[in-house]
Amino acid sequence: MSRTHDAISALLDNEPFNPQELLEALNDPAGRALLIDLASLRQIVQPSEAPPPIARVDAARRRPWQLIAAAAALLVALAGGYAAGTRQTLPPSTDAPPPTRIVQAVPFTPTGGTP
Amino acid sequence: MASPEALFAANYHRLFKYFCRAAGSAETARDLTQEVFLRVSRTRVPSAPEGEVRAWLFRIARNLALDHHRQHRRRPEPSLLTGEPSRAASQDVNLAVNEALASLPTLDRDVFLMREVAGLGYQEIAGACELSPDAVRSRVHRARLQLRQQLAAPIATFQTLAARRAEDMHETREP
Repeated sequence: MSRTHDAISALLDNEPFNPQELLEALNDPAGRALLIDLASLRQIVQPSEAPPPIARVDAARRRPWQLIAAAAALLVALAGGYAAGTRQTLPPSTDAPPPTRIVQAVPFTPTGGTP
Repeated sequence: MASPEALFAANYHRLFKYFCRAAGSAETARDLTQEVFLRVSRTRVPSAPEGEVRAWLFRIARNLALDHHRQHRRRPEPSLLTGEPSRAASQDVNLAVNEALASLPTLDRDVFLMREVAGLGYQEIAGACELSPDAVRSRVHRARLQLRQQLAAPIATFQTLAARRAEDMHETREP
């Protein structure tokens, strides 16, 4: 790297430079053109896309965990409901259930009519 | 020692900008930036001066960018072109920049992007890329000269437009 380039690069990069060397570099039209071109290059290589807000990234990062937590809570609720339901159910029995309605059978008495 | 959240928040924009150019698309940059955070949150942030921690963070970022290139085995992808003329012009510059960056040797490109886009100092880049600061200086300069040559037309256009804008501003200020 030439001393001209060195001084110009150091100036652009906020690195220590020799002021005398920089003065010599800027007295040379080629040195000035280099400085302007490199400053322009820095501008055009900047990405035009704006970064998404950082909160959105955090939210996106948390989303899988939130989904897993919600799914786990649902599972626990379902399992708890099932367990509570089974505990409250009567134990199975071999006895016949009590009647809910009693029908009285009356013997048949013919009352006549055509045979 | 900085928490992973604080470290990420302090370097979020730098990382995103670096990935935009290193991967060539904002969508991939978003994913890779988040991946850096996931990796950092799974590990212990070294207790070291800020510059060294940043170098450590960008070493992770660079490895991710390299993995991305290996997996996709392609050059940085250009963004989609749009029909709007001014937008299309800026997309042309974007495409030219991505192509010029892709033509650089990988290490020179990363060193250049860390300096010009992410704004890291030579010492931080040296830590991230395992080089000496002098090697960083030399690679940054070499990349600049190559890009200056390859992007001569967009640079000239940028300078013309910047001069025109400056003249317009000067005219509007005068009574």
